[in-house]
Amino acid sequence: MGASMTDIKNIQHKAFLFDATRCIDCRACMISCSVENNIPMNKTRIWVAGVGLKGEYPNLERASMVYHCMHCVAPDCLSACPVGAYSKRPDGPVLYDPDKCIGCRYCMNACPFGVPHFDYDKGLIQGAFIDKCTMCPQRIDIGQEPACVATCPTDALMFGERADLLKEAHARIQAHPDRYIDHVYGETENGGTSYLILSHVPFGELGLPDVGSTPVKVVSEEVMDITIPFALTWGAILTGVTIGVHAYNQKKEAAEKKLVDADSPAEETK
Amino acid sequence: MTKTLTRRDFLKLGGSAIGAVALGEFIPPLVAKAARANGQLDASDSGYISSMCEMCVWRCGLLAKVKSGRVVKLEGNPDHPHSKGKLCPRGQAGLMNTYDPDRVLTPLVRVGNRGEGLFRKASWDEALNIVAKNMQDIKQKYGPEAMIFSSTHNLSQPLFENLLQAYGSPNYGTQRSLCFNAMTVSNLITYGMEEPERDYSQLKYIILTGRNLAEAISNSETGELIHAIDRGVKLVYLDPRFTKTAAKAAEWLPIRPGTDLAFHLAMLNVIIGEGLYNASFVSQYTVGFDEVAASVGQYTPEWAARITEIPADTIRRIAREFAAAAPYSLAHNGWRTSNFVNSFQTERAITILNALVGNWGTTMFPVGTGTGGMGTPPQPAYPRVSAQRLDGVPWKYPFVPLQYGVFQQLRDSIVDEKPYAAHGWLISRQNPAMSIPDRRKTLEAFGKMDFIVTTDIIMNDTSWFSDVVLPEASYLERYDPLSMVGDPLSAVGSRAFLRQPVIEPQGEGKSAMWIYKQLGTRLGLGDFFQYKDEEDYIAQQLAPLGVSLNEVRSRGYVNLPASHQDIYKWTTSSGKIELKSTALDKAGFDGVPKWDEPPAPKSGQFYLLTGKGARQTQFGTQNNQLLHKYDDEPGLWMNAKTAASQGLKDGDKVEVTSDVGKIYVKLQATQAIRPDCVYLQPGFGHLSKGLTTAYGLGSSSSDLHVTYTDPISGGQALSQTFVTVRKA
Repeated sequence: MGASMTDIKNIQHKAFLFDATRCIDCRACMISCSVENNIPMNKTRIWVAGVGLKGEYPNLERASMVYHCMHCVAPDCLSACPVGAYSKRPDGPVLYDPDKCIGCRYCMNACPFGVPHFDYDKGLIQGAFIDKCTMCPQRIDIGQEPACVATCPTDALMFGERADLLKEAHARIQAHPDRYIDHVYGETENGGTSYLILSHVPFGELGLPDVGSTPVKVVSEEVMDITIPFALTWGAILTGVTIGVHAYNQKKEAAEKKLVDADSPAEETK
Repeated sequence: MTKTLTRRDFLKLGGSAIGAVALGEFIPPLVAKAARANGQLDASDSGYISSMCEMCVWRCGLLAKVKSGRVVKLEGNPDHPHSKGKLCPRGQAGLMNTYDPDRVLTPLVRVGNRGEGLFRKASWDEALNIVAKNMQDIKQKYGPEAMIFSSTHNLSQPLFENLLQAYGSPNYGTQRSLCFNAMTVSNLITYGMEEPERDYSQLKYIILTGRNLAEAISNSETGELIHAIDRGVKLVYLDPRFTKTAAKAAEWLPIRPGTDLAFHLAMLNVIIGEGLYNASFVSQYTVGFDEVAASVGQYTPEWAARITEIPADTIRRIAREFAAAAPYSLAHNGWRTSNFVNSFQTERAITILNALVGNWGTTMFPVGTGTGGMGTPPQPAYPRVSAQRLDGVPWKYPFVPLQYGVFQQLRDSIVDEKPYAAHGWLISRQNPAMSIPDRRKTLEAFGKMDFIVTTDIIMNDTSWFSDVVLPEASYLERYDPLSMVGDPLSAVGSRAFLRQPVIEPQGEGKSAMWIYKQLGTRLGLGDFFQYKDEEDYIAQQLAPLGVSLNEVRSRGYVNLPASHQDIYKWTTSSGKIELKSTALDKAGFDGVPKWDEPPAPKSGQFYLLTGKGARQTQFGTQNNQLLHKYDDEPGLWMNAKTAASQGLKDGDKVEVTSDVGKIYVKLQATQAIRPDCVYLQPGFGHLSKGLTTAYGLGSSSSDLHVTYTDPISGGQALSQTFVTVRKA
């Protein structure tokens, strides 16, 4: 198995905490990201998700979420990449190396959150097929918060040590149990993510998938781990069966031949 | 993920896939040299320079990240109380205003017909001479009053007003009557100050009457509200729309438009009737309690329920809760309060409500006044102005301060040529073609002019109809004067922050300080502009404080001497909070607020509501590509059930008709609005083809707005326009 629950909670690295009750959907984070990372006008690394408005006038609710790469503790994109274009920094960021990428898009299929996006405008020669959030290493390495977090006017986004943010998140739930869903999304989801989410509405309404605590990566690696023994064993069994069947068939054929010989003597004489 | 901003949303700009900041490639000799000298930039001209945002009027402090002469990122200045290290979406997108591909980079002189958009480039010298000659000719032929000056809130406004007064025209147009006159005039009458400061630190209960802080963002105040809610402060929110602020409220009351006054009168009724007011505060610090008590006796919650469509029990409960939370409650006085002809009295009721429960010195404080010890260049006395003002102040609107004016009345007087005709219009950083109601009439007013000159950074809609366009340097490229403490939007404790250039201007852009001085000099008014350049002006401001400009440039602000302020002193005629205004009484208006029923839509008509979205500021930001990138498409909100009953569906193109105009716009069927209202975000529907991003986007509410003026505050009643909607 992968990391145990206790391990997931004590992971030592940077993370985001997003609180949907504080988000006013102003999108300063999105513009900040675009400028900081020089994202072209028709591309983005950060999205608004959620059902938005819910209910019927005048009984209404609204919830939305901004999200970008979840920077999983055990990233599926990394595990799915056949050429090692993804890496996970020990302090949190999941990074992508365009020079290694061959554009196979396995990472896009592997990510349960739909984060890596294919750049259809760029061909094989230009490389950099995939784009996604980097956690702004150029900023965090000099002690600044990522661009999206730094500008958030309502502190709906925060940045810090994952363990500290988890403590903060649980403290908020405890202080206002009537306000929050009693769960920090990302604490255990997919083996733990570095984008932690607090919400007043069910997480599904924010557009978050219901993933288990075991990352696909771990599942696939476990499967990969037993592939060879499994193949050898299964091969041996099949070989045995084949041999057995063959032997049985030979015996049967021999017996049938005898029967034929006995049943059709006339034929023989014809 | 379910409802995401899809890839399609980022293709709106088609081929213009320019990198956000990959523009401009020159080395900035002067700015970089100065910034290196005071330690903001390193040897390779990289680093952060402190300045001030101008994407709205909240005036946040910013830190501009500069690399080799280009701004590559803006951050909120943590030292500035309005930004606290953060910028809103508009502030974040600010550098795209500077790098807008549609910037006007040289002075332009019209060669085609007005509105045709044909201009030729001109030198500054030629353009300024043309402007000065026209202004002189108008003055000689018709008198200085034939020249209109108009501008919107900005740090160079004192110098613009200086030019106006030195030239000798009484005709001054500002955005104020289209925005906050009702609120500020009411505060002046009640408290003797434009806008008391609000303090959220001890707040327990807040009522927002249409103040959509989550979308009409005032950076620090929006943050303070959300943090207050986080702490458990109860927010009661009155708005016919379920805005993003409504989504954060403990209680959203979809009140019938135009009836906020009835709600607040009933609040006063309960608080006085049940003895919930702060008797010692009222007797010590207010005048006119008995008159208010006698007047509001009739306004029971049951009475208000019929008018507002809010249940009587709810009003009664909220009044009790509000009083119980006092003195840590706050009835927010709003901001753009130009809604109905009764908006002034609505504001009065709110100011009285706060005073009755004693929310003073806890959630409300007086604003600082004075110059903060700063100096100004010497200048002679202004010439005496004898001509009447065209905007009716004070002869028609005696309570409107001269500096506010009544812009829509000014426009109407230009069209009617009464009491006299105007012949010239100097417009600075303002877009009346978009902002004044009944746009057709505003264009008619342009037609009355012999000469129109506009200064702006882009070809805005008013520039499009101008004879000369003077290119301004953007807020990242220029100095503005240090603002005085008396300006409520600059009252940020004991510091004055500096707007300074963080890069060299694009093209030939010049600061307003330079432009006004050049014009003044050419008009023979050089004595009113006794400064060599921008730096000399600011140095003269700083001189009495003994601080050098270089120090201020590197720190970003100057510390002002502490001034003692008596919290419990009001500059009204009585020296107290005036629950009853004798001045209003004497002028024949209601000295205590009384119910005043505004007009309502006829059957088949809707209230037309307008109001800000989080990513645009009034009429000036729609061409910003970064804001456009993440903004929603502007459409006409209509209640989904109403739409269905009219055979309309989401996305339909509809024709919207008012008494003065007609527009075509995409329908947005939503649950988030009262069935008797429609809503349109203002600022779209630009006329200028020189705005290549904004042109063709949405439609303008100014084409529909009918001109109605509140007789006391001069505020335009922007929600008093009724429209019909049918499938186009």
